Amino acid sequence: MSTTGPITGPITGPTARPTSGTGTAPPVDPWAAAHASVEFATLRNRLRSFVFPMAAFFLAWYFLYVLLAAFAPHFMAIRVVGNINVGLVFGLLQFVSTFAIATMYVRFANRSLDPVSSRIREQVEGGGW
Amino acid sequence: MPDKNDLYVTVIAVLAIALWFTLTGRYSARVRSTPDFLWASRMAGPRWNAAAISGEYLSAASFLGIAGLVFKGGVDALWYPVGFAAGYLAMLLFVAAPLRRSGAYTLPDFAEIRLNCVRLRWVCTAFVVIIGWLYLVPQLQGAGLTLQAVTDQPKWVGATVVMVIATFNIYSGRLRSITIMQAFQYWIKLTALAVPVFVLLIHNAGEDPGFRNSLDASAPPSFSQATEVTLDHDVELQVTEPVRFTAVGRVDGQPVQGVVRWERDSKHRVGKDTTLYFDAGSPVPVVDGATGKNSTWLRPMSYGKHPLLATYSLLVALLLGTMGLPQVLGRYYTDPDGRTARRTTLLVLVLLGVFYLFPTVSGWLARLYVPQLLVNGNTDAALLMLPRTALGGWPALLLGGLIEAGAFAAFVSAATGLVVSVAGVLSTDVLPGRLRDFRVATLAAWSVPLVFVLAGSSLDLAQGVELAFAVAASSFCPLLVLGIWWRGLTDAGAAAGILAGGGLAVVAVLLAAAGVLSPGWQTVLAQPAVFTVPLAFLSMVMVSRRTRDRVPADVSRILLRLHAPDRLGLAEKRELGQLKSRVGIIALALSRMPLSRISLSRIRIGRHRRPA
Repeated sequence: MSTTGPITGPITGPTARPTSGTGTAPPVDPWAAAHASVEFATLRNRLRSFVFPMAAFFLAWYFLYVLLAAFAPHFMAIRVVGNINVGLVFGLLQFVSTFAIATMYVRFANRSLDPVSSRIREQVEGGGW
Repeated sequence: MPDKNDLYVTVIAVLAIALWFTLTGRYSARVRSTPDFLWASRMAGPRWNAAAISGEYLSAASFLGIAGLVFKGGVDALWYPVGFAAGYLAMLLFVAAPLRRSGAYTLPDFAEIRLNCVRLRWVCTAFVVIIGWLYLVPQLQGAGLTLQAVTDQPKWVGATVVMVIATFNIYSGRLRSITIMQAFQYWIKLTALAVPVFVLLIHNAGEDPGFRNSLDASAPPSFSQATEVTLDHDVELQVTEPVRFTAVGRVDGQPVQGVVRWERDSKHRVGKDTTLYFDAGSPVPVVDGATGKNSTWLRPMSYGKHPLLATYSLLVALLLGTMGLPQVLGRYYTDPDGRTARRTTLLVLVLLGVFYLFPTVSGWLARLYVPQLLVNGNTDAALLMLPRTALGGWPALLLGGLIEAGAFAAFVSAATGLVVSVAGVLSTDVLPGRLRDFRVATLAAWSVPLVFVLAGSSLDLAQGVELAFAVAASSFCPLLVLGIWWRGLTDAGAAAGILAGGGLAVVAVLLAAAGVLSPGWQTVLAQPAVFTVPLAFLSMVMVSRRTRDRVPADVSRILLRLHAPDRLGLAEKRELGQLKSRVGIIALALSRMPLSRISLSRIRIGRHRRPA
C-alpha cells in the first residue's frame, strides 16, 4: 500500500486532491469515495468474474489444439471431407470460438457492466458522494 | 519472366494507388472543419468504423505473407490469422475499454498518466520507435519484393515507391482520411484478393481431377509444365522423391552443366545464379525448412524444427502483441461511446476472419500452380505469381494488376500509420516538438527500416511482422495489463519489466533477423515471446514489490477512472493538458478521430501549426 494513507475511506487534509471541476472543493474526495463504494466493488467483481475465467478458457482451448497437433497427429489427420482433416476443422473452429467469446463479452458488458458504471458516473458527477 | 506488359500493368496499379491516396487526402482536407469532421466520423457508425480499423490493420504480412507461409508450411501457418484475430479478442477483454477511458493517445502517454514518471516515458518512447521500425521493415521489404517478382526491379525501387507515396501524404498533412474513405481501403484489399481467388477456384474446378486432388497425395508437389528456375541466392534443397533435371551452374559445390540426379530423402546445396530445368511432372525439390510432401503439408505440426515450442511462442506473441502495437491505440477513440466501441471490435473480428480465408486458400492454390517458388524460397511472391502462371493472357495481367494494387494499398497504409506513430513520439519526446521537427522525425522514422531492407533480411514477411508483435508482447502488454489490473505497479517495476522482457526480445529478434545463428538457436530466438513475455511480467511484479513506496499516491483515483464509468475522465480535461501531450495534439490534428475530449480551441491551435 502507499505510504500516504489508507485508500479506503475519505481522504482529507493536505493529501486530498481538489477535483478538477470549477467551484468549491467538496469536503470529501469523490474519487476515493467512489472507489470505496459498493457499486464499484460490484462492478469490479463482475468484470473480473467474467474476464479471468474466460481468458483461462480461451487460452486452454488454443493450447489444446497445439497439444493435440503435437501429440495426437493421427487424430488430427483423420479425413472429414475431401482434403479437409480434423486439424483443419479445429483450426477454423479457433476463429469461431474467438468470435463467440467476443460476442459473449459484448453482451455481458452491455447487460451487466454498463448500468452499474453509469450509476457510478451519475453519483460522482452529480456530487452524490 | 517479366515482360513489357507486366511492367505497364504494375506502373498502372501503383499509380492508381498513389492517386487514390492523394484523392482521399484531398477529400478529407475539404471536410477539415471540426464540426464536419465530427459529423463525418460519428455518422459513420460501427460498421464503417470496423471496416476502417480492419483496413488499417491488414498489412504486408496479411496480404502476401500469410499466403506465402501457408504455401510453404501448410496448415501450421493458420496460426498467424488465428493469432491476429485472437490478439483483438485479448485486447477487447483486457485493455480496450480502460485504455479508452484513460484518455491516452499514445503508449508513453498511458505510462505517464498511470505512473507519472518521466524516465519511464522515455523507455516507452524508445520501445514505440523500435516496434514501429520492426513493423516497417516487412512493409518496405514486401514492396521491394513485389516489384522484383513482377518486373525484375531491384528491391530498393519498391521500397522507395512506398516511401515516396506515404511521405507525400504525411507532408501534405492528408495522411489519415475520414472513416468512410479508410473503410473503402478494407474493401479494396478484400476485392483485390477475393476476385483472383474466385477466378482461380473456378479455373481449378475445370482442371484434370488427378492434378486437382494431388494435394492429399503422399508425394511432393510436382511441376505441371516444363519449368526453368534461376536461383537469386544460395539455397539448400531437400527432396523426398528421386528427381532428375538439367542444371547449369554450381550444385553441391561442383560446377555442373548437364543432367543431375538426386536420390530419395537427400539434401543438396545449389549456388547462386544456377539455372535448373525441370520436365513436366517432375517432383519439386523444396527449400530446407519448407514442407516437402503434400500429405504432411495438410497435417498440423509438420513445419520447422521445434514445432511445439515455435507454435506456442508464436501464439503468445500474436495474442499479447496486438494490444501493444503503437498504431493501434488511437483506434479506441473512433466511436462515440464504449457500447459502440465494443460492437465495432466484434465486427472487426468478422471482417478479419473473412479476409484471412483468401490468403489461406491462395496458399493452397499456389501449392498446385507455382511450386517453382518452393525451389528458390521466394514463397512470399506466391500470390503475385499465381494468376500469371495459372491463367496466362490478359486475365492474368488484369488479376495480377489487381493483386499488386491491393498489395501496394496495404504497404502504403500500414507504413503511413506506423511512420506517423514513430515520428509523433520522436518529434515530441526527442526533438523540441515543433512542426518542422515532425518532418525531420518522419525522415528519421524511415531511415532505419530502409537500412534493414537494403541490408537484406532472410526472414519471410509474416515472420518479420511477428518479430514486432513479439517485442510489443514483451514490453507493452505487461505494462498495459498490470497497469490496468494491478494497483501495486510502480514506475521502477514497469521500467524494469519493459527493459528486461522487451530488451531481451529486441536482442533475440536482431540476432534472428541477421541470420548469423546456428539453426537450433535460430528457432528459439526467432520466436522469443514464450520466454520474454513471462520474464517481463515477472520482473515487473518483483521490482514493483520491492519498490512499494513508489506506488503513486493517487492510484485509487486513476484506477477508478480506468475501470468505472465511461467518460468520467472528461471531467479531468485539465490533466491531459498537463501531460506532454503534444503527441496527442499531433495525432489529433492529423487523424480522423472525433475529439470531443479535448477542447476545440486546442484542436484549432494544433491545426494551425500545420501547413496549408
